[in-house]
Amino acid sequence: MSQQTLSQPLASSRAESRRRRSPFAGDVVLGWLLVAPALLIVLGMVGYPFLEAIRISFTDRMVGRGPGEWVGLDNYAYILGWPDFGEMVVRTVLITIAAVILKAVVGLILATALNQSFRGRDVLRGVFMLPWILPTYIIVLVWRWIFDGQTGLLNQILVSFGLLAENYPFLARSGSAVSLLIFVLVWKGYPFYALTFLAGMQTISSELYDAAKVDGAGRMARFFYITLPGIRQVMGVVLLLSTIWTMNSLEIPMLLTGGGPSNATEVFPLLTYHLAMQNFRLGEGAALPIMMLPIIALLVLGVASYMDKEATE
Amino acid sequence: MTALLDRVPESLFRVVAFAVIAILMFMILFPLYFMVTTAFKFEGEIYSELTWIPREPTLSNFRDVIVNFRIPLYLRNTLIVALSTTAIVVVVSVLAAYALTRLRFPGRAAMARGVLFVYLIPGSLMLIPMYLTIVRLGLKDSYLGLIVANLSFAVPFCTWLMMGYLRSISAEMEEASLIDGCTRLMSLWYIVIPLSVPGIVTAMIFIFNGVWNEFIFALVLAQDDAHRMISVGLSNFYRSDYYMVGPMMAGSLIAMTPVVLLYILAQRYVVSGLAAGAVKG
Repeated sequence: MSQQTLSQPLASSRAESRRRRSPFAGDVVLGWLLVAPALLIVLGMVGYPFLEAIRISFTDRMVGRGPGEWVGLDNYAYILGWPDFGEMVVRTVLITIAAVILKAVVGLILATALNQSFRGRDVLRGVFMLPWILPTYIIVLVWRWIFDGQTGLLNQILVSFGLLAENYPFLARSGSAVSLLIFVLVWKGYPFYALTFLAGMQTISSELYDAAKVDGAGRMARFFYITLPGIRQVMGVVLLLSTIWTMNSLEIPMLLTGGGPSNATEVFPLLTYHLAMQNFRLGEGAALPIMMLPIIALLVLGVASYMDKEATE
Repeated sequence: MTALLDRVPESLFRVVAFAVIAILMFMILFPLYFMVTTAFKFEGEIYSELTWIPREPTLSNFRDVIVNFRIPLYLRNTLIVALSTTAIVVVVSVLAAYALTRLRFPGRAAMARGVLFVYLIPGSLMLIPMYLTIVRLGLKDSYLGLIVANLSFAVPFCTWLMMGYLRSISAEMEEASLIDGCTRLMSLWYIVIPLSVPGIVTAMIFIFNGVWNEFIFALVLAQDDAHRMISVGLSNFYRSDYYMVGPMMAGSLIAMTPVVLLYILAQRYVVSGLAAGAVKG
């Protein structure tokens, strides 16, 4: 690896380099100089705000009302004591799990289908990237209009085909609102799964499949014993990453349902936003993400060690 | 079940594969098709009935968003913030990534690992902290505030992307240049950067798109009309009781054009970035 080749002269001829200036001697100063701007941005705009948020979570600070008073653990106690809190956590976890599983299943099916060789596959792949490259807010606004209870496209279609007698307020009924939130999360997310799974599948040697065919392995056996193990690594990273992003997805629920009807789609990131930006209670808004931190930190640690290993291998 | 599926002939299997692709493709193109066609429909047609092709194609929605709503201003704001962020991030991140992959200095390993952690911190966790910091710095409702907020995500991400790219290119030419008497900085400028152009282009596309498409921080940090970003401007077409579908679709079409063009022009780079784990979504 590059770093080792570079470091070898330094390590092996330390005595010599003391006499004759090594070309790597200036690395320490230069290294810190080059890293400094990035480090300052990260410390200043991620590190400091985060510590500041922890401090504010112990105050009753509100928007536009000065620094606020120290209230100890009151904000945490308030959120924990709130009757809807447990429900909100369960709801967030269930919606996340449902969306991630569906994305993985649809993504795997699509990757398998795209892994056949046929003409025009590259064009298809381009089309399937659209949900991933298009701005999330536009996608959600379009779906919201389609699902709208008054003038929405879905109602127009269903009514014109006689499948519905009259308009149905899809986003104003909790069951359909939750399903449609999951639907939009999956619609936006599965192409990324499919494309990374596909990339993984294409690194599997075709000789493995040929050998398995000779040994009499059927299509299913080849899928379960060659394809799936072959993309296990990629799947692990994608599932973990996607769980983090899905659980923290704020834009989609905010623009699709706004948490309604009657909190049916009020997930954790949305509640944070509502506490801090609508109720102006910054202390509580800061405390809630900190309470969710253990779960998020666990996921981040998991995926970081995974990706780190991959990157340095 | 398994045995049954194994007995399915190859031709039928291909038919099923195509059917799956066709259904999923329909689901993707359906909303996009209606977004595009609705942008060219008169209001009466949008609300009264379902038409697959606009009966009387019109540009009135486009005129509306350009003349009556301040979409050009929002586009300009977004362009300023996106370009500034991209320019700053590329310089800062390439320097940092070079140091973290090529130079030997104490603290390097810890920082290299830290980059990934910071990149993985979800935005919802940083929303309130960032808001408080931007307010305290007096940067609310300013381009600088939006740029600074975007830097906090883009720098770790771009550094991570560039580190991966630099690791993938051989250090031999660099070492040769150092032995021939180049300084580190000369070798960075004349050898490493020219070799990393594809990686740098990928990073720039992701940053520009990321800022262009960003909604939440734009919503919270720029609440005045003069600094409003296009994402917030368009979502304002939605009121809880009433919304303007035609202008919204026309505005969406305008807003997504740069992103789609960039993607078509540089698909190769985007795919390579995808493989490098450039996600969020």
